[in-house]
Amino acid sequence: MAMDQQAAPLTLAEKLQSLPKPMIYGILLVVATIPLFFSVKLPNKCIDPSIDFYAQAMKLPDGSKVIICSDWTNSTRGESKGEMEALLRILMRKNIKFVLLSIGDPQAPQVAKDTIREVTSAEELHGGKHYKEFEDYVNLGYFPSGEGTIVSINNNVRSVAQGKKDFPEGSGPKDALQSPVFEGIKSVSDFKMFFLVTASSTNRTVLERLTNCPMMYMVSGVMVPENTSYYASGQLKGLCGGVKGVYDLENLMEVGINNPGPGQITSDKYKGESIPGWPGKTNTGKGTAYYLALHFTLALLIIAVIVGNLGMYLSKRRAN
Amino acid sequence: MNLFLQVDPKSFWNAPHGSTELTVKLFAAFIIGIGIAVGLTFIPAQLRKWVVRFVTFGAGLFYVLFWIFPRPISRAPTDAPRGAIEGMSFWIADSQPVIMTLTNVIAGFMIGLGIYSLLRVHFSKIAKQQRDWAFSAVLVISMLLMVTLGYADFLQRQDPANFGLADQKNWGLVNYGKDLLFDGLLQNMDAGMFSIVAFYIMSAAYRAFRARSIEATILLVTALIVMLSLMGVVEFMWSGAIDSISKDNGLIQSFKLSAISGWLKGTIQTPAIRGIDFGVGIGLLAMGLRLWLSLEKTGGEA
Repeated sequence: MAMDQQAAPLTLAEKLQSLPKPMIYGILLVVATIPLFFSVKLPNKCIDPSIDFYAQAMKLPDGSKVIICSDWTNSTRGESKGEMEALLRILMRKNIKFVLLSIGDPQAPQVAKDTIREVTSAEELHGGKHYKEFEDYVNLGYFPSGEGTIVSINNNVRSVAQGKKDFPEGSGPKDALQSPVFEGIKSVSDFKMFFLVTASSTNRTVLERLTNCPMMYMVSGVMVPENTSYYASGQLKGLCGGVKGVYDLENLMEVGINNPGPGQITSDKYKGESIPGWPGKTNTGKGTAYYLALHFTLALLIIAVIVGNLGMYLSKRRAN
Repeated sequence: MNLFLQVDPKSFWNAPHGSTELTVKLFAAFIIGIGIAVGLTFIPAQLRKWVVRFVTFGAGLFYVLFWIFPRPISRAPTDAPRGAIEGMSFWIADSQPVIMTLTNVIAGFMIGLGIYSLLRVHFSKIAKQQRDWAFSAVLVISMLLMVTLGYADFLQRQDPANFGLADQKNWGLVNYGKDLLFDGLLQNMDAGMFSIVAFYIMSAAYRAFRARSIEATILLVTALIVMLSLMGVVEFMWSGAIDSISKDNGLIQSFKLSAISGWLKGTIQTPAIRGIDFGVGIGLLAMGLRLWLSLEKTGGEA
């Protein structure tokens, strides 16, 4: 009977093409998890979009005002949270006040607030300023109609905050427009920069409608290609993309641009300029923590593709 | 509700925030709105179609005018319009924030519509005890719990007497409950759900990313170069090797991973994406015009 017959053993080509899913998933789990336990400083070459992002952020006058549109939630926290933390560190160290709003997801304002609380506590521990809600930043919350809201920001930024309440520390809710962040603000051009931290399609919503304020984006890794064309055209002053972008920023925060010393980062675009960093301060965060894991998972992905193709090639050769 | 608060001077359409007058006006507007919606169901379908077309055209026309009509330049709050053109320009600029509030309210109603639809489907499933009705029950209970605790927490924080809630030491059951559900569960499940994508990508890359044709091979090699360029260690070692061959030869230097991936992104990827974007933009413009002029029939008739 057929039951007594042994099935023909798989050839190497067949084996290479039919690795079981649980095995692939198991390897990925191990490869992605183990590097998270080690904080390793890897060699890195910062890319131009990240260098521009850092340089433009550092050129913002101390004490100036910016807008942060935070449209990420914990689904992309591996990338977006690191981006938000790096941005907040830069702004807080330069004492820049900001308006916070969201047009992408109702969860986003709470997630952003949690991150602000974490970063301000960490900065305070190392002698930084305690960033107070309402005084140093004002939270306008979530706007369901992103398109109309961005048009309004461009047209009459104060109208967007009209009727919105924020919660100052130690007192009840107050009108957002009474916040010191809105002092002297007549139009959106009074804000020095519009930062968008996003993992969704709000990048286009903002880009198509905001014309009176310079913009910089922090996007997830998969969004980098589409946003690179806007960076290349000059519509975006800088672009921070994915874990690589965060790692670049963390390195730049450590050594700055064109400053002699160990780990020096040079940029021909800023030749003759020296943009400082904050050596000795806590500059490492999610970028440093996840960059090793990114290396390992990318390496695994490349190996998986090579193994699959090798199996296919051997099968074809055998068939011929 | 701040719908008309920004309109100055105060008129019939204004009412102070939190006043009884505002509540009465809101209630009256709600009743009138319901009346109009119910009234629309009684008019002939042919006429209703024209009502929908008229509203759609009016809504679209506002933003068309907003973009193409000359805008006031260096306008001071006390400036009065000189002539009809400037008057129109002032009116459009002043109306836009009100339209923005209206679109936000309408988008808020869409969330309400989604909740209604979700509850209708799952309550029906529970009532008829259809397959997997227990999951529906979990969904409904979770939703009600989140709404109840979330709204109770929001109301507490709105009260000026409760400013101490900023400190966790002053939290009560409601605040801890909301924190557990939102930060403790939802946020982490959100992250957990998305991380599953990595497993699918890995599996798909292994099974489907094959060099079966010239085009697929080009795609594969390009992807490998870009992925390698994202790995700082590989990039560093590769650059070191290139530098050791020659630091001055431009041709050799252009074989650095960052140079190759930069060329791929700048010369191949960006123009390709721009081309696609132009096509999509033209398509969107055509679709926008069709929707605005009610020529688009695929969404169903009114």
